[in-house]
Amino acid sequence: MVAEDPSSAESSASCEIRIVNEISEMARVADLVDRFGAEHGLSNEVIVALNVSLDEILNNIICYAYEDAEPHDITVRLQLRRESVEAVVEDDGKPFDPLAVATPRPRSAEREGGVGLHFVRSLTDQVKYTRRDGINQFWFMKKLTR
Amino acid sequence: MKLVEAVSDDVTIVEAYGRLDSTTAKEFGERLMSLVHSGRSSIVLDLKNIAYISSAGFRALLIAKKATAEREGKLALCGVIGEVKRLFDIGAFTEEFLICPTQADGIGKLRQ
Repeated sequence: MVAEDPSSAESSASCEIRIVNEISEMARVADLVDRFGAEHGLSNEVIVALNVSLDEILNNIICYAYEDAEPHDITVRLQLRRESVEAVVEDDGKPFDPLAVATPRPRSAEREGGVGLHFVRSLTDQVKYTRRDGINQFWFMKKLTR
Repeated sequence: MKLVEAVSDDVTIVEAYGRLDSTTAKEFGERLMSLVHSGRSSIVLDLKNIAYISSAGFRALLIAKKATAEREGKLALCGVIGEVKRLFDIGAFTEEFLICPTQADGIGKLRQ
């Protein structure tokens, strides 16, 4: 669902989706990004940047953030601004600042982590991690391109 | 993710459609491995209809490349264009693979 918010001058459109921590759920996020991108005429470059970045962040959370076997909610919000699009991912997994991880250059099939965050940093214009009230919040921004 | 396969003598051509990401990498990798294990280890993979590849997808590609080499075959990629090309460059994967302009070039390279 893409909700228009005419009451706000700054935010022209936003949408939100909640998934559980299973890899198969991630396709729903990619579908939402594709739909959001099409409805708002985002360039392919921006849509790919959003999709790859969210894939890396969500994969990381689902694979490494939880120490129990219980289902957990992960929330993804997209917000279209005049000259950028912002995404926020929130999870209640263990505290983890992905930005504190070094980003090695990819060289082999055995390499884990690292490469994914290198994609996020390279494809976006700004990234930010905060931990508050037991929630990890990863925010990133991508400037709009034609 | 959809895979369309064709056979040209000793070479298998696989055209991939859709996203190569965390959700699809497993199925994609398993299909390529089953080709390799059935003796079809010379593979041209056409990526021109792939929207994007995340690190999970690149991992599956690297594993497939290794598997073909272990069976005296080879993996050639073609259709590496647009945003997908950019992702290869960002991830420094361009030098990791045999990348050809077209399917025909890929088939030619594998037969050399």
